[in-house]
Amino acid sequence: MSFYLLCKVLFSRKVVTTLLLLQLAMALALLLNSILLAQQTQQQLTQPTGLDLEHTLQVQLKPATASLRVYPALQDLLDRQLQAVQAIPGVIAAAYANQSVLVQGGNGGNLYDIEQEERTNVPYVPLYFVSKDFFTVLNVNVLQGELPHYTTPFGDTAQPEVILTQSIAEQLFAGQPAVGREVNLGRVAAVISDFYGQRRSDNVMFNSLQVTPPYSVDWGYSILLRTEPAQTAAVRQQLANVLRAVEPNIELFHISNLAEQHQRVYSNEYGLAMLLAILTALMLLVTMISSYSSTHFHALKRQQEIGIKRALGATKITIALELLAENWLCTALGALFGLGLALFLNQALAQVISIPPLNWWLPLLTSAILLLCVTLATWYPASIATRVSPASATKAL
Amino acid sequence: MEQFIYYIRISLLSIKRAPLPYALTIFILSVGLGVFFANATFYYQLNSDPLPHKSDKLFFPMTLIVPHDCNDCLPPRILSYSNVQKLSSSDIPSAKAAMYSANGYARLHAEQPPVPVTLRITQRDFFSMFDVPLRHGSVWPDDNARDEVLLSRAMALKLFGRINVIGEQLLLDDRYFSVIGVLDHWQMLPRLYDANGRNHLSPGEDIFLPLETGYDLNYQSRTNSRTFDQTDYRKLSTEGRTGARHMLQYWVQLDTPAQQQAYRQFMLNLANAEKAAGRHPSPINNQLIAMADIVDYFGDDPGDIKAFALVTLLFLLVCLFNASHLSLNRYLSNQYEFSLRRALGASRSQLQQQMLADVLIMAAFTLVGALLTGYACIQLMNQLLPNNSLFSHWNLTLLLSLLTITFACSYLVTLYPSLRASFGNLNQQLKE
Repeated sequence: MSFYLLCKVLFSRKVVTTLLLLQLAMALALLLNSILLAQQTQQQLTQPTGLDLEHTLQVQLKPATASLRVYPALQDLLDRQLQAVQAIPGVIAAAYANQSVLVQGGNGGNLYDIEQEERTNVPYVPLYFVSKDFFTVLNVNVLQGELPHYTTPFGDTAQPEVILTQSIAEQLFAGQPAVGREVNLGRVAAVISDFYGQRRSDNVMFNSLQVTPPYSVDWGYSILLRTEPAQTAAVRQQLANVLRAVEPNIELFHISNLAEQHQRVYSNEYGLAMLLAILTALMLLVTMISSYSSTHFHALKRQQEIGIKRALGATKITIALELLAENWLCTALGALFGLGLALFLNQALAQVISIPPLNWWLPLLTSAILLLCVTLATWYPASIATRVSPASATKAL
Repeated sequence: MEQFIYYIRISLLSIKRAPLPYALTIFILSVGLGVFFANATFYYQLNSDPLPHKSDKLFFPMTLIVPHDCNDCLPPRILSYSNVQKLSSSDIPSAKAAMYSANGYARLHAEQPPVPVTLRITQRDFFSMFDVPLRHGSVWPDDNARDEVLLSRAMALKLFGRINVIGEQLLLDDRYFSVIGVLDHWQMLPRLYDANGRNHLSPGEDIFLPLETGYDLNYQSRTNSRTFDQTDYRKLSTEGRTGARHMLQYWVQLDTPAQQQAYRQFMLNLANAEKAAGRHPSPINNQLIAMADIVDYFGDDPGDIKAFALVTLLFLLVCLFNASHLSLNRYLSNQYEFSLRRALGASRSQLQQQMLADVLIMAAFTLVGALLTGYACIQLMNQLLPNNSLFSHWNLTLLLSLLTITFACSYLVTLYPSLRASFGNLNQQLKE
């Protein structure tokens, strides 16, 4: 089997080969970028959150009457709701917060060390107003200092102490102890391990907390619960009824575990990656149809030539290999063009969405996938071509 | 006509002889066009102009009048009540309206379960500026606070079961309001009057409340809001009116270039005056953005649809190449028949007419396939990218475009093979 002859056969049908090369190049470009996007989404979904995603439940809710949204009625409602959900069998701890964790955006503001405002100012850090069991619910570790033992009542003249996550404490105090230092929200009481707060933050692990009731619930609030692993589903099932029994004038936006919430935060990326994956599968199918049709048609057209080769001693395997090799060569050339196209597509996509740049090993992987698909598609027509009898050579005479 | 029917019959016979390659060609073209059309639907609807006759006359003024040194020095995308007061002190605009959206709960009386509703808290010119049609009643006579609301048609039906409910009372949160107007069918898409943070992709509001009443009753913005000083956001009726609590959209109607230029000058004078009074430490940065450009200015164009548009275009190209490839193989298989016809005296134009009959049949099959694929693809996209689901409907323009594109693609796919069959060397073709 000569490489020169393979090229000659391939380029004897210029239009068909050009069309096939273009398809293969585009299929590779799309396949490559789809994998990149899927990979990025996968990384986002599997990045550490510092949370027990499966066994932490969150309820997003809001009092439906204005009178229930102001203190002291609100405090009474929060206490009754917490008491009721804590009584559900399987609940380890429950807490309220002005907003949930693992969300796109929410309540927050700038945060800085008051001694060095210019240098340390972080423009946006989520601010959580939570009940004291919030830390037990999230199962975070206290790294420095001590957590407040009681909830500062709403309207108390004393400013509540501040709890920072490790990442923001390091950002503000550059490795020095944070406890006892003053930030614009108050005195730092403790530093806890990181957890995923809001996606819109510069760093999703930047969070500040105060153990005090929510300042306002005009945008709703959250009740978070940590459950026994075997009881999560049962607790979830009871939550809506329990909360409505406590107070019917509430709107329950949603009840979910944090794994679902995590998925929701990246739902757009997930949706786009899924769409591209489906499109890539279709693209590969179309390419396979094309390869199949091309090989089948040309094997039929070259029956006499194959017959002569068989009469001159070529084995069935040689004939099949020859047809397959033609397609492999075409795929290799298509993949080569496809790399350039993939680079172009990657840059064009990066203008409108977040997509990582190409790396060195992905083109090899995608070329291998393309080669496999083309081989599968041409296998059947190649095997049919091997059935051509040497006697058919006589028709050429 | 008889000749045309003959060509159609010949085409159908040709399909019957080798149905698989033909079916594959149709399948590939249908999938390519269907996927492309589904995405084109979203792209077209998202980029459509909801008020083509006045989108270049409605402007969103933004100014960097904030009580601190700026970081990025861009004017906030939302305005404070006090800044709106300053910006609306000019008589240059033909109409002007400040607004924001909030959440509430509506019912007819306290014993009923509350219905969650969205509120547009705005001023009277909102309805004329954005061509909001009224079915019953009228808008507020001025911009003062009053316990009067207008309802969307759907909300009137939901609460009262009918749409002529002028003079009826409803309980919004803990307060009774009179209904003074009901809107007709109205869905401005994209909802460009609230384009910040992709809000323009969401449906319109249920209840319309006067701006001053919204502030008096401390209705908080349900979308983006920021405070640039120590203003207590819960005291909207007092501190919210004077402090740097930003949560408003503000639109002005400037019908002529002269008005636009005059309003720009007014904004500049205002910023200079604020600076002179020491209330404006940042550099002056005023923006007057036309409604047609507001999404681009905010940079909130959905990138997912753009990215998918690029990819589906590429996919359509692949499908076109593929269908051309299959079509070429099919014509080459039938080349002997073409050549025989030429040898028997058929002219090249007659062969091209035969080709047109092929194109028509192919376009008809492909159109059906593309519509089915497009519909399925839209359903899938609504599942996977639900934020854009309001923009998934077809209209006549889109369907006619699909028809044209389908015909053009079918023609392109058939063009080269038929030319090759018609113009090749006759002797050579008859020998093959």
